[in-house]
Amino acid sequence: MPEATTQAATTAPGDARPRLPGGAPLARSPIRQPPPTAVVGHWEVSRRHTNAALRLADLSALAKVVLRAAPESEAAGALGVPFGAARRVNVVATRPAPQLVVGSGPDEWTVLGPVDTQAEIDAALLALPGEHPRSVVDLTHGRALVRLTGAAAPAVLATICAIDLRERSTPNGKALRSLVAGVATDLVRDDVEGTCSYLLHVERSSGQYLYDTLMEAGATAGIDAAGLPEKEI
Amino acid sequence: MIQIPCPYCGLRNANEFASTGEVKPRPDVATATPAVWRAYLYDHRNPEGLVTEGWYHRAGCRKFLVVERHTQTNEIRSARPAGVAS
Ligand SMILES: [Zn+2]
Repeated sequence: MPEATTQAATTAPGDARPRLPGGAPLARSPIRQPPPTAVVGHWEVSRRHTNAALRLADLSALAKVVLRAAPESEAAGALGVPFGAARRVNVVATRPAPQLVVGSGPDEWTVLGPVDTQAEIDAALLALPGEHPRSVVDLTHGRALVRLTGAAAPAVLATICAIDLRERSTPNGKALRSLVAGVATDLVRDDVEGTCSYLLHVERSSGQYLYDTLMEAGATAGIDAAGLPEKEI
Repeated sequence: MIQIPCPYCGLRNANEFASTGEVKPRPDVATATPAVWRAYLYDHRNPEGLVTEGWYHRAGCRKFLVVERHTQTNEIRSARPAGVAS
């Protein structure tokens, strides 16, 4: 688990890309980070604290790896997460905490893990049992991921999404893909300590738009920007 | 508004889908003349009544579906995954 540090990124002469002290490129979310920021692993992330009851956090730094395989394959059976569900599974056996496995399509799973663990998830998915063809793609830097948390989250989300978000249709642990503010979005209901929470996962280029739209939709409900929560790192 | 009952995702607004047009038999590649290919690609019946169409759930499960739709009322009679016999 990477430690949050305040080490400054530098740029090399003739190269505008910010680099970490070791020379590795600094990774940045497509979403502007509300200050203060810190470097966590290879990522520049917001560490902003808020006590607001409704909050939006950018989780784009988390590892995101997609597995495509036949639903009847052994690999799919080993994950044990059906299409439309999201559960925590120990995909990477050496990690202390399980990863979130999202049944994001009839033959597609998205695995979300802590910052900088994509290579481990990648290897673990390739090592799943079975001979069926499969593809494993690291989407960590290609996607934006945000978390909307609060009792008012369903009402706010309902203003920009046509999905029935009531408990009986979209309970905790439900995953689906639909349009959110006109953008194809992977939506996961993943409550945090008993408080209603959604993960929203889009193409990187739509990240800032989705973030801004959620902030605007939640304005009357008192939404506030949160930094990357400690428990997600 | 058209709503399509996706067999994977449930009832969804048609704006999540892309229509791929009426489903019709593909000409034999070995024997089809340019005129036959042209007719296959560009000539559409556009009837008033029930048609069998392809729809792609681009903002959902990303699967191709075969949908029976009434062109006047937009009633959806059935929706099944493409490549699966009705
Ligand atoms: Zn679908």
